[in-house]
Amino acid sequence: MATKKPDRFDQVDWDEFTDSTGLSISINTKLMLVAALPLVALYLFDRFRVGEREKTFPKLGEDLGLSGLFETLGLDYNPSNLDYLFIFTIFVFLIYLVLPLYQNPRMTKYYWSEFKRNRPAVVSLVWLGIVFVGGLLGPLFIKRPEQDILRGHQPPAFYHISENHVPRCLGEVSNGRCHGTWAHPLGTTQGGKDILDVIIHGMTISMKIAFITTLIVATIGITFGTVSAFSGGWVDEIMMRFTDIVISFPTFILFLLVLYIYGATLGMFIFVFAIFSWGGTARYVRSKALSVTEEEFIKATNISGASKYRIIRKHVVPNTASSIITQLTLLIPGFILFEAQLAFLGLGDSELPSWGQLIASGRSDLSFAPWIVLAPGFVLFLTILAFNFLGDALLDALNPQAEAEADK
Amino acid sequence: MSSNLPDFDEDAPLLEVEDLSTTFRTDAGTLLAVDGIDFTVRKGETVCIVGESGSGKTVATESITRLIKEPPGQVDGTIRNKGLNLMELSEKELRSIRGNNIAHIFQNPQEAMNHCYTVGWQIVEALRVHQDVPKKEARARAIDLLDRVGIANASARFNDYPHEFSGGQKQRAMIAMALVAEPDLLIADEPTTALDVTVQAQILRLLNELQEEYGMSILFVTHDLGVVAEIADRVIVMYSGKVMERGDVFQIFEQPAHPYTQALMRCLPDKGVDTGGIPGQLPDPLDPPDGCRFAPRCEHAIEDCTIGEQPAEMEIDSDHEVSCVFYQHGYDESVVRDRELEDDTAIEDSSTEVGATDD
Amino acid sequence: MGLGKYITARVAWAGIVSLVIVTIAFILMHFAPNPAIQQAATDAALQGNDPQEAIERAEELRGLDRPIHVQYLDFLQNVYTLNWGWSEYRSQPVPQALLEGLYYSAQYSVPWTILTLLIGPLVGVYSAINMYSWKDHLATGFAFFGFAIPNFFFGIILLLVFAIWLGWVPVIYNPDVAVFSLENIRQLILPVFVLVTGSIGGIMRVSRNESAEFLNADFMKTAKAKGVSPMRAYAYHVMRPTMVPLSTTVVGQLLAIFLGSSVLVEVVFGIPGLGRLTFNALINQDTNLVLGSLLVFTFIGVVGNLIEDLVFTILDPRISYDDR
Repeated sequence: MATKKPDRFDQVDWDEFTDSTGLSISINTKLMLVAALPLVALYLFDRFRVGEREKTFPKLGEDLGLSGLFETLGLDYNPSNLDYLFIFTIFVFLIYLVLPLYQNPRMTKYYWSEFKRNRPAVVSLVWLGIVFVGGLLGPLFIKRPEQDILRGHQPPAFYHISENHVPRCLGEVSNGRCHGTWAHPLGTTQGGKDILDVIIHGMTISMKIAFITTLIVATIGITFGTVSAFSGGWVDEIMMRFTDIVISFPTFILFLLVLYIYGATLGMFIFVFAIFSWGGTARYVRSKALSVTEEEFIKATNISGASKYRIIRKHVVPNTASSIITQLTLLIPGFILFEAQLAFLGLGDSELPSWGQLIASGRSDLSFAPWIVLAPGFVLFLTILAFNFLGDALLDALNPQAEAEADK
Repeated sequence: MSSNLPDFDEDAPLLEVEDLSTTFRTDAGTLLAVDGIDFTVRKGETVCIVGESGSGKTVATESITRLIKEPPGQVDGTIRNKGLNLMELSEKELRSIRGNNIAHIFQNPQEAMNHCYTVGWQIVEALRVHQDVPKKEARARAIDLLDRVGIANASARFNDYPHEFSGGQKQRAMIAMALVAEPDLLIADEPTTALDVTVQAQILRLLNELQEEYGMSILFVTHDLGVVAEIADRVIVMYSGKVMERGDVFQIFEQPAHPYTQALMRCLPDKGVDTGGIPGQLPDPLDPPDGCRFAPRCEHAIEDCTIGEQPAEMEIDSDHEVSCVFYQHGYDESVVRDRELEDDTAIEDSSTEVGATDD
Repeated sequence: MGLGKYITARVAWAGIVSLVIVTIAFILMHFAPNPAIQQAATDAALQGNDPQEAIERAEELRGLDRPIHVQYLDFLQNVYTLNWGWSEYRSQPVPQALLEGLYYSAQYSVPWTILTLLIGPLVGVYSAINMYSWKDHLATGFAFFGFAIPNFFFGIILLLVFAIWLGWVPVIYNPDVAVFSLENIRQLILPVFVLVTGSIGGIMRVSRNESAEFLNADFMKTAKAKGVSPMRAYAYHVMRPTMVPLSTTVVGQLLAIFLGSSVLVEVVFGIPGLGRLTFNALINQDTNLVLGSLLVFTFIGVVGNLIEDLVFTILDPRISYDDR
């Protein structure tokens, strides 16, 4: 590895960190186990020990005899099933995507030098980093925004509106105009919710959608594609026909039906969109797996009796990883947009303080309180834009051929 | 849109190129692809430009009707077609020359036709952009030509798409496309390189026949001296954007004067000498060496070869010119003469000539 | 396999896809708790009757006591004979309500589709011809803006600026104006603009990247050597081959936006089209109408994909029908 300069992500010798000749487990898998075990334990505890109306963490503190400590630390969370899945996905992301970048500094350096030539993509990465951290940590520090009619319609800092529109101005009043304060940098809604807080909580929702759907899509897509390619024959034919149906499915419409019949939680949203979005990934993995099988080195391992599973793990998945990541990056903005649309229509989970819901709530007051619509609207716009830029840059960085052609 | 350009002087040579230079601006600097070359093509003759790939021969021929993309390319010099200076023409006037007076066929017939249109459509297009011919008549002419270039069942194949043609058939169709407007000059840029040997010979024979039939001139670009022997009347040897040697085909084959021409001769497969190619590489076109361009690879090079400009072309026989220091006054030309090669090629050449004309 | 045979096979496949989707809809409906039946049980309990008996009676009334395969076949027959039931909320048969909605949806969908198909490829090819110039960067920037800005958010902003502040277009959609009137153009200009902005970006990107390849192709040099003018070369030798890869994404992209955004755009602009009808059916718990409008969208999707495949096959002369 050290002697060979990898000139693209695909050609990296993944053996370096997924070395699994026989039973030895890579450091990444060990880490994954270490991280996932407490999570699973906590989930099982929540599932079987904690009552329906009880909160998980206070109950845990009670059982461990550490109630006092938990209380001083402010550990009173009650994670939902989706939260467990989200945390699990974050672990997978950190251990199998971020950690390898650290383990392979040479590759990372090359990769970064390619990537940073694309300015908008770097800015996008920074923005997505903010949304990621905000979404992950924000809810731990910022309480869920609550109704407070008296604080309604406060303008953002540096902005002022006619006093008549504000029930009770918190900031300075001059010439009959109410000025915004730093207590609410982006202002408040009609119900007095702080907009910045809602936006940060909305980040959590967007990140949950982005990460969990991605994990599900990648898992189903890769499994389906490789199984189809290695089975061959009629199994392959049937699986690919099935994929055709999945791809031509009007998911949004189907989801409206599901929503109509069963109601729409965020979990349901993620589930429905994830299980109907893996078609492209599966198709790609299959075609790549077939071409990889043709290659000489695979034939060699095949003769030596290596298992199919090993071929998939060591050759197909690493070879397709970069393209799958790119594909998924370009899928995510669609999911986030759909969630916002449903929330805007009032068809989403009404409990969730999401960006779409905030936009909907500000619609009627648009003429005098435009910030309620504009702030979350721009955050949504920037997030979708950032994912698109990022995907585009990854496409260029991971596909030097395309770039060479473009330079011609 | 028939050619209504004035000033054609029917007595002037068909094509006169003087001091043609073509440069390309790149990020790394200005690339000198063709460096001040002259040549003439007369009515009815075949002139071959020979050289390794990268010697600037393709750029030189594509500069004639300015097929070069400008920018980054830039063409300077004088190019006269029957006395008319093409360099002074507007882009629109040039278009009425392209395909109409001067036609092109290219190296790779696989990609040279648009895959979305039938072969017939593309031939008719070549005619109808120049001449206001009714569709039916254009079609009839295209079918005639397809038949003439040796496409069997031409009226049916007219409606076929390029992917339904084989490589050789595509090149035949390209020839038909080039000839449909009856040009005076056909520029053929390595038209046989991408084809297998048997097809190659057929295409060369076809070009020879068509030349006689239409009385056109051919400017033929190749790196293959074997092809030159079969088709050329006169030969221009190019290296790194400069002309090294020129003369009629017998002079070049019987008395190759320039060390570079000799090196090319030795590369001919049945020469029995060294077929490992010419040692060394073409000079960097961004920064060509002083003196003779070939000096760094020349076994005879002396200090005088590496200073100043490319040596002036010296006439060593009637119409046989060579750009080499050793043919100038005060140098001994016998240093670079290769007697062995001259005797050898004399025999070889006559046999090739027989081969080329016996069909 | 000839073209005719290929088309037959492809149409049959579209039929299978629609059948699968309809079946999924049936399964979803069948295993969901039916509010009407629960209502009957509650009513019975309140009146002191046996709730179980009331449930059975209600099920019998709706034919839900029959074996599932009979219900399924019945459902299929109704779906494919357009026997889609009565809409409580609209007080008219479901197909009629849908047809009325379609009338309004078509009024903005048709100009939107035409404009997208005209402008998208033209700007894309123009961008490729001027690649890496400021014109290209401007077009690329617009493309990214277009597909990143949420349609409903963009619509609200435009309404605020052009209807409320500037008063150039009406705030409220009037369904009674004539289709081909200036008034109708004025009230549809914003929704069409929003949708075109959203759909054009993807088409521009695809045509730019695909046509870049053809601009540098050998056949362009051939065309130039033949004496073909640049405009003609772009129109015939670049645009035409670009249509082939473009055709594989165009319908998909338009459909995705139509299926995903028509509800939003119609709600924002107050257009009483199919999307708004679906929305109102959902809000008003009108099961027949919900199912009916979802079937319409589904069929539009299936037919759109069918058209896409057929157009691609016809556009690319190199395609072999055996490959698919």
